Amino acid sequence: MTGATGFLGIHLADMLADKGHTVIVPARSRNNMAPEERINALFRWLGRDRVPSCVQIVPADLNRSDLGLSPADYQRLGSRVDEIIHCASDTSFSERKRPQIEKANVENLHHLLDFAAKSRCCFFHFISTAYAAGKNQGICPETLVDTRSFFNVYEETKHRAEMAAADRCNREGIRLNIFRPSIVYGHSRTGRTLRFNALYYPVKILVFLKNLYLKKHREQDLESAEKMGISFTAGGTAHMPLRIEASPSGGINLIPVDFFTSAFYAIMENAVDGGIFHITNDKTKPVSDIIDYIRKYFHITGVQAVETQNYPAGPQNHLEILFNRYTEIYRQYMQDERIFDNARAVAILKPQGILCPDFDYSIFSTCMGYAESVNWENPL
Amino acid sequence: MNPLDHIPEEIRRTASQCRHYAMCKIDYLDTGLCPPAKKTPFVSFFPQGRMDLCAALAKDRIPVTQAAADIISSCTLCGSCDRQCHFVTGMRPMKVMQALKAFLETFLEKGGVPVLIPEDDTLKALKQMVGEQWATNDPAHLMAYADDPFPLAGPQMPGYVVLPGSAEELVEIVRFADKAGIPAVVRGNGGSVFGFVFTPGIVIDVNRMKKILLDPDNWTAVIEPGVTSFELQKAASEKGFRVNTAEPAATVCGNIVCTGLFSTWANVYGVGADHIVDMTFVDRHGRVFNANDKTAPNVFGFQKAVRPSPGICLEARVRMHPVTDDEEGLLVPFTTFADAVSFARDISRRRIGLAVGILGGHYLSTFMSPTQSLAEQTREVFSGILEMTCVVSVIGDKYARSSIRQMVPCVIDSRTFRMFMLGLPQLVRSDLADIVQGLESDRPAYETVLSKEMLPVLEAVLSPSPETLAAAIEDDLRGFYQDLYRRPHMTDMVWLTMFRIVSARMSRHRHMFAFLIYVPLAPVAVIQELMASFADIAEKYGIEHDLGFITPLDLGKRGILEYDYYIDHTDSTDAEKIRLAMPEIETMVDQVSRSYKGVTFLKYIFSQGCARKENFLYT
Repeated sequence: MTGATGFLGIHLADMLADKGHTVIVPARSRNNMAPEERINALFRWLGRDRVPSCVQIVPADLNRSDLGLSPADYQRLGSRVDEIIHCASDTSFSERKRPQIEKANVENLHHLLDFAAKSRCCFFHFISTAYAAGKNQGICPETLVDTRSFFNVYEETKHRAEMAAADRCNREGIRLNIFRPSIVYGHSRTGRTLRFNALYYPVKILVFLKNLYLKKHREQDLESAEKMGISFTAGGTAHMPLRIEASPSGGINLIPVDFFTSAFYAIMENAVDGGIFHITNDKTKPVSDIIDYIRKYFHITGVQAVETQNYPAGPQNHLEILFNRYTEIYRQYMQDERIFDNARAVAILKPQGILCPDFDYSIFSTCMGYAESVNWENPL
Repeated sequence: MNPLDHIPEEIRRTASQCRHYAMCKIDYLDTGLCPPAKKTPFVSFFPQGRMDLCAALAKDRIPVTQAAADIISSCTLCGSCDRQCHFVTGMRPMKVMQALKAFLETFLEKGGVPVLIPEDDTLKALKQMVGEQWATNDPAHLMAYADDPFPLAGPQMPGYVVLPGSAEELVEIVRFADKAGIPAVVRGNGGSVFGFVFTPGIVIDVNRMKKILLDPDNWTAVIEPGVTSFELQKAASEKGFRVNTAEPAATVCGNIVCTGLFSTWANVYGVGADHIVDMTFVDRHGRVFNANDKTAPNVFGFQKAVRPSPGICLEARVRMHPVTDDEEGLLVPFTTFADAVSFARDISRRRIGLAVGILGGHYLSTFMSPTQSLAEQTREVFSGILEMTCVVSVIGDKYARSSIRQMVPCVIDSRTFRMFMLGLPQLVRSDLADIVQGLESDRPAYETVLSKEMLPVLEAVLSPSPETLAAAIEDDLRGFYQDLYRRPHMTDMVWLTMFRIVSARMSRHRHMFAFLIYVPLAPVAVIQELMASFADIAEKYGIEHDLGFITPLDLGKRGILEYDYYIDHTDSTDAEKIRLAMPEIETMVDQVSRSYKGVTFLKYIFSQGCARKENFLYT
C-alpha cells in the first residue's frame, strides 16, 4: 500500500492491520526522518504503542522507475504482493505546481503499474477522487469519464491516472477497483485529522482573523479591526461582514475518514470483479449551514451565504477580497452542483450498515474542537 | 603566570572569533568609537585589536608588554564594543575586555612587570618621520596586524607598524623602506580579510589620514586614503550627494585600487575608473604620480593577469552623485532566480532605478534580522512559506517605482519593508505563516500576502515597532535596540543601501569567503552554471554555501556575481576544506571564462581597480 505516510493512507493501513492483513508499506525518508520513524509517529498518533507487526515498512521511492529498489529487492517485493492499494497522491490544486502534481499522480502511477505487471499482484486498488468527473454537471456515474474539462490540475491528473490504471490493468489481466471519495475530513467521533485544508481552511482563516483582532481589541487597539470592518461585542463575539457566494442547490460533499476506511474495506472485500465506486455523501452540506455552525461554535457573526444571482457586482470589502483570495481555489467545491451517483457503492455498503453521517453541528464541533486542541497545526 | 589559567576558555573562544571586519572602527550606530582608539587609532586599541590581544596572550604568543598593559588599562568598559559588535556579529566583546582587565590586574598583583621592548634604529627612524607616538615595534601592537580570518595565510608578525599623518610622511616611509630594503605594505583602516597584507617588515596603517574635502560645484570629493566608505558617505550625504561605496569600514581608496569598488549602486554609478577623477600614488620606490598625468603609469588599462597595485594611494578625487528627495527602496520578490535576473537586467537596460541587486534568501533575511536565530527563521518564512526565493532590491525615484509597479504583480515597498523589519519576531511566531502555508493558489504566496487588502492584516500580525524588534534581543541590550530602531533611517532601504551597515551580518554565523565574478546577465544559464559549479564544489568538501548577490552593470549588459562559502576560520578542518576547494574553483571559473564572453574572475581585476570597466568587462 502506497501513501501510508498520508492521512488516508495511515488510516487504511491501520484498518487493514486490524483486519489481520499483512501490509507492506513503501515509504521515503523526509525532513531527516527515516521511513520507520515517520510510520511509527503516525501509528502513535492513531493511538497505537507501536507499528503493528503485520505492517512491514520498505524504504522505497515511487519517484523512481525502479521504486528506488535494487533489482533483487524489486523482484523479492514483487513475489510477496497479492494486491496493491495505491493511495499516494499529491492533493495540491495549483496550476503552477503542475509538474510536481503530474509527476506524483500520473508518472509515479506508471512506475507502480510496471511493478504490478511484473509482480504476482492480481488486484489493483486505486484511490482516486469523485472530482475526476471534471466539469460535468448533474449526475456523475460510477464509470470512467470521457472529459477533458477540469476545474484544476488535481482533478485532471486523477482522471488521467484512472484511465492509465484501467488501460494497464486491463492489458495485464489485473482486476481494478477505483475508489472515488469526495472531500474527506477528520474522524467523525474524535475529529482527529492531520491536515487543515479543504473544509477546514476557510474556517481557519476566519478564526485566525477573529483571534488576531480580538487580541488587538483587548489591547485597546480599536483602529486595526476597524480597518477591516470587524467589530466585537462586549462578550467577544466578532462581527465580520463577509458575503460568501453560494449556489442555491449545491453544497460541499463531505465524508469522514472513518466512513471512508469502512467503505473502502467493504468494497475491497466484496467487489471481487473490480469496479468504480463513489464514496460520497448523499447529503451535500450547504455553505449556509456551515456558516451557521461557525456562528454558533466560534461566535462569529456577519458571515452570510449569498446566492450567486444575488451576489452584488459592486465592490467587495477588504475582508471579502481577502477571504476570496485565500479560498479562491476551494470556491468550486463550496458550491458544487455535481451529483455523484453512488448506487454501486451503496449496494455493497448499505447491507453492511455502512452509512455516511450527515455533517451536522455535532460533528462540526468535534472536528473544530480537535483543530483547536492542536492549534490548527499538523499534530505531528 | 600562565594566561590559560586566567583567561577562561569561553573568553578565548570569543576572542578568536573576531572576523576583522573593522566595523568597530567606524561610528555607524552613533555609539561613539572605542574612546582610547579614537585617540590612538592603532588597530590594537580598537575592540578588534583587543580581541586579538586576548587571543594572543591566551595562546602565549606574546608576553605582557608595556603596550599590552597600556592597551588593556585604557579600556573604560564603556560598552560601545558590545553594542557595535552585537549589531553585526551577535558577539559580546565586553566580556573579553573585562577578562583582559582582570588578567592584567592579577598579573600586576602577582608582581609581574610588563616587558619594555627596546627600540632599534629602524624604529627610531620611523618615529622621526611620524612622531614618537605613531610608530611601534611592541608585539602587542604588531600582533593586531599579523593575522586575519583568511585561514590560508598568516600569521606573520610585522617588524613595525607606523601610522603616517600626511601624504608627505607616507612618501618618506616608502622611500625609507625602499632604500633600506625593508618590505612594506599598506593597510587601509588597518583592515585585512584576504591575507594579502602580511609582511615581516613595515605595516603602514593609514588610519590617521582621514581628511575629506567636498567640492559640491564639481560633484567631487578629495579624500585621504584612511577615509572609510561610511565616513565619506556621511559627509557627502550631508551636502545632498551620494558616493558609490562598498563595505562601510573599508577605505574608499583601498577599495577602488583593489577591486574597482562595486556595490548595488554600480548599476548606475559604474565601477573602477568610473569612480575617480584623479588619484595620486606613491609607487614602491617612492615616486609620486597622478593618474591623469600623460607620462604617468597607465592605471586605467587592464591586463588579464594578476598584477601588482600601482602603488599606495595618497589622495583621490572621487565622484559624487546627485540625490533627489523622492528616492525610496523597493523589493521585488520572485519565485525563480532566472526571473529575478531577467527582471534586474530589464530594468537596468531601461535605466529604471539606481541601486539594483538580486539578493538570495540568506542575504535578505540576514540583513534584516538583528540575531542569527531570527535570520534563520525569517529565511524559512520568506523563502519556504512566502516563496520569495530571491528578491530584486531597487532604490529609485517615484518615476522608477511607478514603472516597476506596472511591470510586476507586487512589491515590498518602503512602508511594508519597515513593517517586516520591525515586526520580524512576530512574523516567525504568528499563525500567519501557517495560514499562508496552507494557501492553495495559482499565484505565489507572497502575491497574496503582499496584496493591498492584506497589508492591514499584516500590520496587525506584526505589530511593528522598535519594541517588537527588540524583543528578539538579550535583555540587557533591549533598550539600546529600541532606541536604535526609533531612528527612521535604520529601517530606510535607501539609507541602509547607502551606508551598508548590515552587510557584515552576512558573516555573523561564520566567516564568509566571497567569490566575485563579472558575468553576462544573458543568457542566465551562464550564471546558473557558475552557481551550480560553486555549489557542487562546496558540497564535495562539506562547505556551507549560498548565493550572495548579483548587481547589473552597464545597462544590464554585464553584472557581478557574488557566491559565498562559509567556514569557521578558527577550525583547521574548515581551513583544509577551503585549501582543497580553492584550486578547483579557480580552474572552474577559468574554464567557464574561456567558454563565455564576459566572465572574468575578480582575482584578475584585483589591484587593477582603477581600470576602465570597458577594459575588463568586454575583453
